[in-house]
Amino acid sequence: MSDVAPARATLFLEAPEPEVAGLARSVLRDRSVRIGVTVVGVVVLLAVAAPLVAALVGHGPTEQFQSEALDSSGVPIGPSSSFWLGADGNGRDVLVRVLYGARVSLLVGIPATTIAMVIGTLVGLLAGFFGGWVDQVLSQVTDVVLSFPFVVTALSLVALNRTEDGSSRVSPVLLVIGIVAAFSWTYFARLTRGLTAELRSRPFVEASETIGSGSWRIIRRDVLPNIAPAVIVYWAVQLPTNIVAEATLSFLGIGVQAPTPSWGNMIADAQRTSLYQVQPWFLIGPAVGLVATVVGFNAISNGVRNVLDPHHGTR
Amino acid sequence: MLTYVVRRIGRSALTLLIVLLVTFVLTRIAYRNPAATLAPRNADQQVMDGITKALRLDEPWHLQLVHYLLRGPDIQGAAVGLLHWPPALGYSFRKQTPVTELILSKVPVTASLALGAVVIWMTFSLVTGVLSARRPGSVTDKVISAVAYVGLSLPTFLTGILLSYFLFFKLATYGIRWFPSSGYVPFRESPFEWARHLLLPWLAIAIAEIGIFQRVVRGSMLEVLSADYIRTARAKGLAERRVYFDHALRSALNPVITLGGLELAAILGGAIVVETIFGLDGVGRLAIESALSGDYPVVIGTTLFASVVFILSTLTVDVVTRLRDHASVTH
Repeated sequence: MSDVAPARATLFLEAPEPEVAGLARSVLRDRSVRIGVTVVGVVVLLAVAAPLVAALVGHGPTEQFQSEALDSSGVPIGPSSSFWLGADGNGRDVLVRVLYGARVSLLVGIPATTIAMVIGTLVGLLAGFFGGWVDQVLSQVTDVVLSFPFVVTALSLVALNRTEDGSSRVSPVLLVIGIVAAFSWTYFARLTRGLTAELRSRPFVEASETIGSGSWRIIRRDVLPNIAPAVIVYWAVQLPTNIVAEATLSFLGIGVQAPTPSWGNMIADAQRTSLYQVQPWFLIGPAVGLVATVVGFNAISNGVRNVLDPHHGTR
Repeated sequence: MLTYVVRRIGRSALTLLIVLLVTFVLTRIAYRNPAATLAPRNADQQVMDGITKALRLDEPWHLQLVHYLLRGPDIQGAAVGLLHWPPALGYSFRKQTPVTELILSKVPVTASLALGAVVIWMTFSLVTGVLSARRPGSVTDKVISAVAYVGLSLPTFLTGILLSYFLFFKLATYGIRWFPSSGYVPFRESPFEWARHLLLPWLAIAIAEIGIFQRVVRGSMLEVLSADYIRTARAKGLAERRVYFDHALRSALNPVITLGGLELAAILGGAIVVETIFGLDGVGRLAIESALSGDYPVVIGTTLFASVVFILSTLTVDVVTRLRDHASVTH
């Protein structure tokens, strides 16, 4: 097979090119997307600026200032000129920890969601494109993974990660990334499988096959570019869910381990010690960080969905 | 229809089998050195060997699998497992009881938690969803949707803490003690106390779910309401209430049931969080405490338990929705 024939064939049977530029413009004009992008932008900016703020106020994320930040009975102080959001039960700066917590959330959430996207897309492409027994096997695997409830299974895996002397076999952060990815690729696989199976029967894919393009070439050239936008939108849908998943595991004490600050383990600290009842910022700080991030990403994906599918919302 | 049900059951059975095998492999990893975990300090080799033998870890893996499925290992001469209820899932390191018994003893609490939460979330989301769908874009719709959006964005553990802060701690400072912050009273002892103790935990689980389901009910109702047969029903002069509740809601329920089954099946995740915050002694609390104390057989047992619940409930939901579709087609 010469290289010329398929090239010419694609000239006539070009895959339907979505109006990317126009679409991007109307997405960015959506109010919900604008709010979401602003909120997420602020969170990312603060996460990046965390060391700067730490240097500015002179408090590290795990440094304890028990003499300055705790009163004589050991109760943390509220907001002051040196501790802007007050201190936690160990005399650590809540603001600095909240900002470092943003880093942890993003550094766990983004890689986990991206790994899940890559695995899920690959599985979905194979299942949807080849169908038959490949599809059956992969669907069965997906079913099995889906039938392991997230938190309980995570408990098992984290428990098994501990050695007899109490240390961990794998770094807890890597384990959390792995667990979250292992539980979220299935959603990408389902989405991609459906889209691929649908594209498979479209004329331009059949044409590519007729002129003898190999399966991988068709997947790469015809299928992948067409499903990519939907998969990327879904990435933004899954990310906040995964950030909450990390926070939940850390809240339960099986995710990111103290003293590394994570919004989840900070909220757990505040709840366990009940100190938030006298120093509310101990709880409000990480809670606002978490909720703002989730709401921001949800707003973006809602807006994008409204633009792509105008009938989805109000009719 | 029958072929569908049979195939669906076969598929679930296969999934169940694979889940069993996976959890068994997990116990094999966990049991790498159980003698050290179980034995008293400074135990000599003879005691260690005795424990290994009692746990049947000296046998080939396929026999261990049989013991895993059918009966737990014998410890202190007590036969456990088959006598109680297969599969035995092994034996708790800490509590010295069979895992199955341990889990089943905690089920009433978690089941009460799940059932009450479902009743609350389904009632609220059906009412608010239908109200929203009546006049899309109206003030009512916007307010309900905004509140649902907030509920949906709050992680369960945060909802739980906020509820216990405002409805327990804050009310208590004013001398109002309507809602206890923890504890469980069995239904048989006092239904009123049972509900009073569980109200905050129910809300903690239900609030996020209402956020999700309100949207699903609304969307599904809007879709059904634009269908031809609804227009016909209206044209016949049927009362609006009957159009909504007799005709529209019935067809709009299908996606709600499907998603409801999935969410209910996965409720143990939320139960772990809520039972931790409100000090309820259920399956979720058992799971987290065993995980933190290294009681592997119990953790893995709860994982298996939760998977079985999930597989059975999704199977039921699939078959029920299929039967409903079938009934409405032949109707």
